[in-house]
Amino acid sequence: MKKRKWTAVRVLIIVFLLISVIFPLVGVMTHISLEDAKKIVSSESFGSVVLHSLAVTGIATVISVALAFVLAWCLNRTGIKGKGIFAVLFTVPMLIPSVSHGTGLVLLLGDNGLLTNMLGIRVNLYGYLGMVAGWVLYSFPVAFLMLMDSFQYEDYTAYEAAQVLGLGKWEQFRTITVPNLKKTLISTVFATFTLIFTDYGVPLVVGGKVMTLSLYMYREVVGLLDFSKGAIIGILLLIPAVAAFLMDLRNDDGGNVSTVTRQYVIGKNRKRDAAAYAVCAAVVVAVCLPIGAFAFLSVVKQYPIDLSFSLDHIGEAFLLGVGRYLENSLAMALATSFLGVAVIYFTAYLTARSRKTFTTMTLHLISMISLAIPGIVLGLSYVLFFKSTFFYGTILMLILVNTIHFFASPYLMAYNSLCKFNENLEDVSETLGIGKLRMLLDVYLPCTRKTVVEMFSYIFVNCMVTISAVSFLANFRDMPLALLIPRFDSQSLVEATALIALVILAVNGIMKLAVFVLERRMEDPEKGKS
Amino acid sequence: MAVQNNAVKLKVNHIHKTYDGKVILGDISFEVMDGEFLAVLGLSGCGKTTLLRILIGLERQDSGTIYRGGEEISSLAPDKRGMGIVFQNYALFPNMTVLGNVEYALKRKKETAATARKTAVHTLEQLGMGEHLDKKPRQLSGGQQQRVAIARTLAMKPDIILLDEPISALDVTNREIMKRELKEIQKKFHTTMIFITHEQEEAFYLADRIMVMSEGRIEQLDTPERIFSHPANAYVEEFVVAHLEQKYQSLLRCTGRMEKRGGH
Repeated sequence: MKKRKWTAVRVLIIVFLLISVIFPLVGVMTHISLEDAKKIVSSESFGSVVLHSLAVTGIATVISVALAFVLAWCLNRTGIKGKGIFAVLFTVPMLIPSVSHGTGLVLLLGDNGLLTNMLGIRVNLYGYLGMVAGWVLYSFPVAFLMLMDSFQYEDYTAYEAAQVLGLGKWEQFRTITVPNLKKTLISTVFATFTLIFTDYGVPLVVGGKVMTLSLYMYREVVGLLDFSKGAIIGILLLIPAVAAFLMDLRNDDGGNVSTVTRQYVIGKNRKRDAAAYAVCAAVVVAVCLPIGAFAFLSVVKQYPIDLSFSLDHIGEAFLLGVGRYLENSLAMALATSFLGVAVIYFTAYLTARSRKTFTTMTLHLISMISLAIPGIVLGLSYVLFFKSTFFYGTILMLILVNTIHFFASPYLMAYNSLCKFNENLEDVSETLGIGKLRMLLDVYLPCTRKTVVEMFSYIFVNCMVTISAVSFLANFRDMPLALLIPRFDSQSLVEATALIALVILAVNGIMKLAVFVLERRMEDPEKGKS
Repeated sequence: MAVQNNAVKLKVNHIHKTYDGKVILGDISFEVMDGEFLAVLGLSGCGKTTLLRILIGLERQDSGTIYRGGEEISSLAPDKRGMGIVFQNYALFPNMTVLGNVEYALKRKKETAATARKTAVHTLEQLGMGEHLDKKPRQLSGGQQQRVAIARTLAMKPDIILLDEPISALDVTNREIMKRELKEIQKKFHTTMIFITHEQEEAFYLADRIMVMSEGRIEQLDTPERIFSHPANAYVEEFVVAHLEQKYQSLLRCTGRMEKRGGH
């Protein structure tokens, strides 16, 4: 009977995920009209939109991944100090919405930008240059985190063997490092490409006359309410994401197993370290400059005419509703984080700590599928699927779409943590008469508190910065703060957009700090004693 | 022989199990006496672990029945079969202390906190773990962790304890110590034990009777002495007798050399 109950719970979650993931997606497919598809494909601009999208995304991806690789190498293979601080600073761009990376560039290098005026330079920001720069800032932290992880799992014994064989540093890098990181590198390239390809925030601000597919979709749906066209473009945007997902699935060889027998030993090399310092410092400057610009523009009277200190812009922004929309964002982010952590952790518990049956495998697969659905496609699918339900247009809709949008990564965090436990724990508990729920509450949750906190923070931060899935679903009253940036940007309220970026950064910074303190407290003082 | 009387503690009748059409256990029948130490000896994949899991109810047999005492337990839940199990990898609750690990199951069995504490402390003390009550599993050696796992099982007062290669993960020295202790524990607690192993020496050292298994069948079930003197077939002859003889011969050769050296 007990077993039946658990199967029923599993089936219930599968039904929930079918309704909130699979059916809406199928809904998008059914919404496509062949005539519209023909019209779009045969239109004059379509070819150039696709070409521009692929080209600019490709360039940004290559630069972003290369930069991330260099940074990960600096932090893992050189003797520089302050690696922890560098690692934190490199991920700061993840704490602001993508659209803010565009506005940051405009504030610095636009026609009236801080650097433009200060250095007397003039760059043609709008177009390829702005998009590539904005997207590199937006995406390199994600690539960096993916690569950092892999660098840490390299076994030094291979390098020792190479040294014995007399291979030089370059040969070692070519024959050991690169092959070791190849799989991660390919995954990183795909993930970064998808991230950039489906973002409309950066091109919205600095795209100039260059149109990308994601921006095209955003304009068609938000501006012209043309859902059919939106659906067709949505399907195109799905392609790289699905390809990346399938490839990761194929490459998945239980990456949890570490074969490291010896940690990498970093030799002394001053020149190498100096170069690493220079690269890291340059990136930190590039990351901090837009944030500095946000702060500066928020507190001067009127740039560039009157540079005296003033809180007028802050007051104005709050008059325009920044406070209210911040409340919306906080409510949505907190509710999504609580709901998300509960549902996602429980789902991971069911899949990680149960026998691999058809039901658990199906649940596992559906749980990861959100990795393959770009936010704007998910948002559009929700518009089409839930339009006539009672909670459409409410904050509940936003909570649901964000829970699904950010489902996969925290799911994998929980799944991987739970898989690390002793494989016989369930057998023992079953023979001792300890139920599954009790095991969850008394053993697994206390042991994985850190993972739970990280899941919470991941969902919270992403909810604060997201402008994708929510963009088609939020109404003017309930919309989150980040969506105010494109609105203010279109009204040329530059200072207000700067302030919003700063507010979101501050909220996320506080969340990250709280997580850091909490995790430190959670560290078992007995750990390490024997 | 520690068998207390002639009462049959466990009776297994015609257990049959297949996976994906492959026979894992083919019509297995045997009895275990009260207080007996039975070793199930066989190579990996011979079906011994599946047999153990079926006995305790973690897996279901396709057909056949299991009796404990006179009661049929074939379809009871694992915690209702009056058996306990100890695994090779200990499977302790990592967030709980040594005491907590033993106490936890007792409390869930609706024992009062005071009784649970008393039983847990008493059992742990008897296994020489009295000094480590407040330690977490990761602070213990492999042997100590295994003692806690055994204490956790013993505290529940099962009629039969199943041991799934419980000392295979230990180093050689600890393995020898644990082997001796297992014998003592069995005597002290008067429990019936079924011990799974692939090591011939372990089986011969510990068991009152040995059940040699291969490819889901029982090749021979008898006392160590009888198996050695009268192997039932070529497989037992090769897998048990020849193996032990070979080891014994090499030991003799070594001792011989030592004697020669000593003679110089």
